[in-house]
Amino acid sequence: MSIFRRSKKTDKQMKTITNERELGPSEDDEAALSSSLSDTISILRSRIGLSSDFIIRELGDKIAISYIEGLVDQKQLSELIEALIAGHAQFSSFTHDPAEHLKSIIPIGGIHAANTVGLLLTAILSGEAVVVIDGLPGAITVSISGGIRRSVQEPSSQTVVRGPKEGFTEEISTNIALLRNKLRTPELRIVNRTIGRYTQTKVAVIYIEGLANPEVLDELFIRLDSIDTDSVLESGYIEEFIQDKTFSPFPTMINTERPDAIAGNLLEGQVAVMVDGTPFVLVLPVTFFKFFQSSEDYYQRYDITSFLRIIRLFSFFIALFLPSIYIAVTTFQQEMLPTTLLISLAAQREGTPLPALLEALLMEITFEVIREAGVRMPRVIGPAISIVGALVLGQAAVQAGLVSGAMVIVVSFTAIASFVMPNFNMASAVRLIRFGLMLLAGVFGLFGILAGAVPILVHVVSLSSFGVPYFTPFAPLRFSNLKDTVIRVPWRAMKTRPSSISVQNKVRQSTFNKRNKESEGE
Amino acid sequence: MRELKKSTIEVPELVGTIILFEIGSTTLYMIGSKAKQDAWLAMSIAASIGLVLALLYLAIYYRDPERDLFELFRHYLGKRLGTVISLSFVVYFAYEASRVLRDMGELTTLILLNKTPLFIIMLLTVIVVGNTVRYGARVLFLTCLALIPIMILSYLFLGTMIVGTGLVEYEQIMPVLEHGWEPIWNATVPIVAFPFGQLVLFLVFFPLVKEKRRFRSPVIISYILVSLFLIVFNQMNFLVLGSYIADKSTIPLLQVIQLIEIIDVFERMDVLFVLILFMGIGIKMAAFFVGAVTGLQKITGIGLKKWVIPLGIMIYAASFLSPNYSHHIWLGLEKLPLMFLIFQIAMPLLLFIIMLAHRKPNTRYRKA
Repeated sequence: MSIFRRSKKTDKQMKTITNERELGPSEDDEAALSSSLSDTISILRSRIGLSSDFIIRELGDKIAISYIEGLVDQKQLSELIEALIAGHAQFSSFTHDPAEHLKSIIPIGGIHAANTVGLLLTAILSGEAVVVIDGLPGAITVSISGGIRRSVQEPSSQTVVRGPKEGFTEEISTNIALLRNKLRTPELRIVNRTIGRYTQTKVAVIYIEGLANPEVLDELFIRLDSIDTDSVLESGYIEEFIQDKTFSPFPTMINTERPDAIAGNLLEGQVAVMVDGTPFVLVLPVTFFKFFQSSEDYYQRYDITSFLRIIRLFSFFIALFLPSIYIAVTTFQQEMLPTTLLISLAAQREGTPLPALLEALLMEITFEVIREAGVRMPRVIGPAISIVGALVLGQAAVQAGLVSGAMVIVVSFTAIASFVMPNFNMASAVRLIRFGLMLLAGVFGLFGILAGAVPILVHVVSLSSFGVPYFTPFAPLRFSNLKDTVIRVPWRAMKTRPSSISVQNKVRQSTFNKRNKESEGE
Repeated sequence: MRELKKSTIEVPELVGTIILFEIGSTTLYMIGSKAKQDAWLAMSIAASIGLVLALLYLAIYYRDPERDLFELFRHYLGKRLGTVISLSFVVYFAYEASRVLRDMGELTTLILLNKTPLFIIMLLTVIVVGNTVRYGARVLFLTCLALIPIMILSYLFLGTMIVGTGLVEYEQIMPVLEHGWEPIWNATVPIVAFPFGQLVLFLVFFPLVKEKRRFRSPVIISYILVSLFLIVFNQMNFLVLGSYIADKSTIPLLQVIQLIEIIDVFERMDVLFVLILFMGIGIKMAAFFVGAVTGLQKITGIGLKKWVIPLGIMIYAASFLSPNYSHHIWLGLEKLPLMFLIFQIAMPLLLFIIMLAHRKPNTRYRKA
């Protein structure tokens, strides 16, 4: 604990340092560029080095263009070079503000002047072309980034039956565009940060002005700005840095690769954090019950949705408690079982060598191994693993008398129940806690389960996500927010936004009037 | 990073905690068994006295909404005397917590784990409860609010089952006043001390409530409802078991539950119901524990978390004071109630009188 307290202090000290050296490990980034072409080129050569994909192309002895091969769009590059060659003669007449002049002759948007080495390097490394003209101070950056991109596809981790089939990609600008397409409001704000000394990763904070809680935003920016790390390769890095509590199995942020889910969340006053290079976008602040909601909930009928949500919560409890309850009941509280069930269980367990606790632990660990293998293994071996998993470890183990049939059923049902949760994070938390509960149940029976469940509840209740209590709207009670938790009321009754998250602009819609009331009455 | 910034509690949490706290371990015992089938009368009288006490506690709070129990004593009775009284309250709360701990341990060995030694069960319990206390009053109150739907649903289910399976024999309530008023008066005093007068603990928590001056009626209403609930459930034991068995049984409610039989599957619901009982008991213990820890914090100025382990050890040790369960019950229901009444009636009354004499109620809160 003390280590982490100390690191908080250093975070604050680091903050000032980070702001000073925004651009990587070198010191002379702030140096201004000279007006000599050869000087600028030699600086670039020395800084980027002899990488084969770094290209400096001199057009005559007055102009040079520099870029990284794989990061630029070839078509736009040739347009740029064409325009530069055609306009060659005019360059001698430029005196100041060459960027403005270039804008009039180059048919490409995104032209800026760069005056320092640092800006120049950033531009080149993020896929822009740099035009340097001899005799003019500074350089001009032209945004022609392109290169390899994955197209927008259906999200693989969160599928729906009804709803949009598009998912985020690795490209942050594409992702923002996907979101802009859904929320055509000028109030949609996108604030950029660059995090990671080596990766220089673009991180965008997205929210709707007037809906998002300014306190949450302030806190988020403070936390984001205090990150000083060498790399951010996925939004998981950011999540771990900015979460409220480090020691908790429960996630305090949701990640999703569905633009429609993000749009819905933004409309409820939440804030999204998008990281370049990953389709998983973080949403905050969240409450416990958000993890049991899917974006599809709002596209389906409300009664079906409410039923499904109850099923999900039920599955959550099954995934958490079923193995431990089985252990507790078969080991300590056999009297709870109806006689016929007890006899059949006893008959099954007669031949098995292990006590229920060990048997359950063995099976659960086996399942976790199969599952991990299923994720990691090469796709082609998939069928082999499923045969081994289903037949050998399931049926054959029972037939061989190693485990009881009831235990296989319990473990399988637990496993399937843990996949019902729409959010994978919460399912992982449950996986972890389950083992602790099983141990307690094996030693203390039902009493042990309670002794394990109470600290979990207390912990969950004590959590908060960016200042929003985790267990709202149940504790603390926010009566009006109950409309979208365990059940979902019809859209016409969702008149207000969740008040624990959105503090301003609470009204969501006016009272719905059916215009054709008379015709309906018939 | 920012933690939970507010340590305030809200009215629903307060109401939920009062309900859970009052239910607590009460349903475990046969309250007013001396009055036999007239236990409901004794309990109603005790509950009415408890209501007056609750009003007294609220009056104390409204006179000076800024200070909690310990600060009040130290402010109005002088630092030295106030500290002594505050310390005695800490001891009282800690002792109540240890009693509840023993209840829990005995209940577990009786119903769930016959072979596990008592000291191990109680150790586990005190660790779990101590962990809850470590988070402070706010989290405890939030936990109560989260638990209350489960409690209400299970007691409702239970009540329906008992009545629905036709176990209740209503004529057992007769004859009313078979032995006159005397056994009822004798039974009443201990009932005031347990459970109704224990509400004095909430003088520690009232100042934490965010909406000042807005919770008098919610508190009173929830108190009345929970009292009615306790009277009904307590009387149900008599009506199902008859006064003789109800008096002799260790945990009559569980015996009642064992009589419920529906479609073969739900035969031994008592085992499940013990878990529900545990929640109430645990909450009660945690509340007293938090009260005692808060007292030590206010008296010494040393942080709340640092007191959890020492006090936990003391509570754990104190829970072994009774050599056996019968002694424990006898001590709690017959011997000590008069002493408890000092803390529940005499001290608050003394405080209130002195506060009245002070004549300078906090004018800042008068306007609201």
